Amino acid sequence: MDKRQLSHDILNMLERLRIMHDLAKDQNFTVIKKEEVLSDLEETLHKLEADLKALIQ
Amino acid sequence: MDKIICLGKNYLDHTLEMKEKAPERPVLFIKPPSTFVEPKENSNVVLPWKRGLIHHECEIVFKLYKKNIIGLGLGLDLTLRDVQKKLKENGHPWEIAKTFKNSAIVTPIKGLRDFPKDWQDCLFTLKVNGDIRQESKLNNAIMKADEIIHYVDEFFPLCDGDLIFTGTPSGVGPLNPNDLVEMSFGPILHSFRVVEIG
Repeated sequence: MDKRQLSHDILNMLERLRIMHDLAKDQNFTVIKKEEVLSDLEETLHKLEADLKALIQ
Repeated sequence: MDKIICLGKNYLDHTLEMKEKAPERPVLFIKPPSTFVEPKENSNVVLPWKRGLIHHECEIVFKLYKKNIIGLGLGLDLTLRDVQKKLKENGHPWEIAKTFKNSAIVTPIKGLRDFPKDWQDCLFTLKVNGDIRQESKLNNAIMKADEIIHYVDEFFPLCDGDLIFTGTPSGVGPLNPNDLVEMSFGPILHSFRVVEIG
């Protein structure tokens, strides 16, 4: 994947983490359930690490 | 935030006050994130009157996550009305009338759990210097919440954190330097002043 796309994906994941933070801070699990946020968190962190490592190379 | 997606002509009363023909479906346009501002309570927002008449368009704003509405706010889609009029007359796109700095003012977003279940039936209000300028509810709009998401999703790649401005009801009008703007919707009550110089 080209680095420009990687960078775009990474920034989107950081935005996603910010939203997860807001959902957790406000305990706002009306629409997105707590379990789904936890699952998204794990998936996002995993992909973020992989993409950041790829971008560093 | 990747983008701000805006619906135009989603309230028939606004389309009529503009003396325009109602489209089959609302018009869509985009504002870049650089137009966004979330003013602190009682702060000042700087606007460029030297470019012409600035109109307020008050509207409910959705915040998205995984194509779901996770929060609501109230926004002002500011428009350089004279500039827009000329562009429309010439059949040109409206962007330069809609994308100046601070032209997408949004109150702090509140989670859906802070609103009543029937929030689409809750009145939202814009007051300028204490006078009510715009007041309506999303249930008065042509497209309601679910339909808006599906409609927008047809045309744009939706990203987490995107905002949707859902259209403005009648009552749009000019803002002048030092006007006090008050916006209310459900648990939201937010005020700030618009000024010419920061």
